[in-house]
Amino acid sequence: MAETILELADVRYRYPTGVEALRGVTFSVAAGERVGLVGPNGAGKSTLLLALAGFVAAEGHIRVAGHTMSRATARDVRRHLGLVFQNPDDQLFMPHVGEDVAFGPLTMGLSADEVHARVHEALAAVSLEGFEGRIPYHLSDGEKRRAALATVLAMRPQILALDEPAANLDPRGRRRLIELVRRLPNTLLLVGHDLDMILDVCERTIILEAGRVATDGPSREILTDRALLESHGLELPLGVAARG
Amino acid sequence: MHHMMLDHFAAGESPVHRLDPVAKTLAMLAMILATVLLGDRFVAFLPLAAAMAVYHAIGRVPLGYTLKRLAMASPFALGVAIFFPILEPGRAVWTHPVGPWTLMVTEEGLLRAANLLAKFVLCVWATLLLLSTTRFQDVVQALARLHVPRLFTVQLAFLYRYLWVLIDEVMHLRRAREARDGGAGAWAPRFRSQAGLVGVLFLRTYDRAERIYWAMAARGFDGSLHTSTQGRLRAKDWAFMLGTIAGAAGVVAADRLTHG
Repeated sequence: MAETILELADVRYRYPTGVEALRGVTFSVAAGERVGLVGPNGAGKSTLLLALAGFVAAEGHIRVAGHTMSRATARDVRRHLGLVFQNPDDQLFMPHVGEDVAFGPLTMGLSADEVHARVHEALAAVSLEGFEGRIPYHLSDGEKRRAALATVLAMRPQILALDEPAANLDPRGRRRLIELVRRLPNTLLLVGHDLDMILDVCERTIILEAGRVATDGPSREILTDRALLESHGLELPLGVAARG
Repeated sequence: MHHMMLDHFAAGESPVHRLDPVAKTLAMLAMILATVLLGDRFVAFLPLAAAMAVYHAIGRVPLGYTLKRLAMASPFALGVAIFFPILEPGRAVWTHPVGPWTLMVTEEGLLRAANLLAKFVLCVWATLLLLSTTRFQDVVQALARLHVPRLFTVQLAFLYRYLWVLIDEVMHLRRAREARDGGAGAWAPRFRSQAGLVGVLFLRTYDRAERIYWAMAARGFDGSLHTSTQGRLRAKDWAFMLGTIAGAAGVVAADRLTHG
C-alpha cells in the first residue's frame, strides 16, 4: 500500500452563521489515488476543500503531505495541495495567462528560468501552448478551466483538489478536460456532481452527506448502486443508466 | 464578452511599441506637463501636436480609434469649457436677453474655451498614444519601476483584470430585471430595484474578492506581487525619452520667453 498523503480525522467546522458544515469527516487518501467526492448541495464538499487549504479554521486533524494543518503551517500545506476553484474567473486573477501561471512558481521563489520552464510545461500539459500573452477574459470557458488547472500544475503539487472542474463545459470541452485530468499523475481529489466524470477518472468515491462521510468505496460499486445513490439524493451516472 | 479594451492596439508591432514602457510613460508625462504649462497662444501647441502626430504615425495607431476615444472623454472637457464664453468678462461678440439678464458671449471667453479644449485634446492624445502602443500591464509595471506605491499599481492591475467581469455582472443583473419588467414599468419600483441591484452587485463583488484572495493564497500569495520581467532602458529608449522631454521643455521655454 502506498503511503498516506492526505489524512482527515474528525474534521468539524461551523460557519459563523451557525450552520454546521462539517460534522466529523474522517478519511485518508494514499499517494497516487484518485478520489471522487460527491454529495448533495450543502453536504459540505466545498467547505471541506476550504478546510484542506486552511481557509476555514476547522477543528480536528488534517495532514497533507506530511504537514499537519495549523495556522502556522497553512502556507506549507498549500504548497503541496493544488486547489482549483469552481469559478475560473476567480482563479485567473492576473492580466495575462502567462503571468497567472507564473504566479505560483514566482511566490515559491523559483528562478526566472525555472519559472519560465514551468509555465511552458504547465500550459503544454493542458494543451494551451502559446497562450502566455492571452487575456483570461477573452478565453472560452473550456480554455479558462484548463488555464486555471495550469496555474496550479505549474507549482507541481502532490495533491490536486478540483472543485467542479467540468461545470458549464460543452460535451467536447468536458471530454477534453476529462482526458487531460486522467493523464495527470498527481493524487486527485475531484469534487462535484458530474458522476460520469468521476466514474471515468476516479477509482474511489466518497459520498459526503450532512457534513459526514456517508459511504466510501470503489467507484464502480458505489456509482452503479442506484438505491444507494438515491438514498443520498444522487442519481446513477448517465453512462451507467444507459447501459441498463 | 467585451472586445473593447483599454489597450486594444497595444499588441501591435512598431518601433514605438518596442520602446521601453518606462521611457514611454515618462515621455507622456513630459508631453502632458508641457501642454499644461503652455500659455494661451495656439501656435505653441503646434510643435507638441506635430511630435505626437509623428509618434502616432510610426506607432500605426488608427486615427478613427483615437478620435473615437477622444470623443468618449470629451464630455468632461466640454462640460467645463462651455461656461467660459459666458462667464469670462471681455469684449462681447454676441448678446441675448434672458429675462432681466443679458447673456453675453465674450471673445476672451471663446479663446479660453478653445485653449482648454486644445489642451484637453493634447493630454488625452498623449495618454491614448501610450495606451495604444503599450500593453496595460507593461504600463503598470513601468509605474512600479518608477517607484509608484505598490498599493496603487496592484490596484490598477486588478482593475484591468476585473473591470469587464464586473461590467458583465451588471449587464446580467440588468438583463434579469428587464426579462421581468420588459425594460419599462413605473419609475418608483424601478428606482427601488436599481438600489437592490447595486446592493447585490456589492455583495457579489465582495464575495468575489474573497474567492480571489483564496485563489491567490492557495498559490502562496504573501502580500507582494512577484513579476518575472525587469526591464532596462537601452540607448534608443534613453534617446526617445530624453529627446521628448527636452523637446517639450524647449517648447515651454520658448513660449515663456517670447511671451513678453
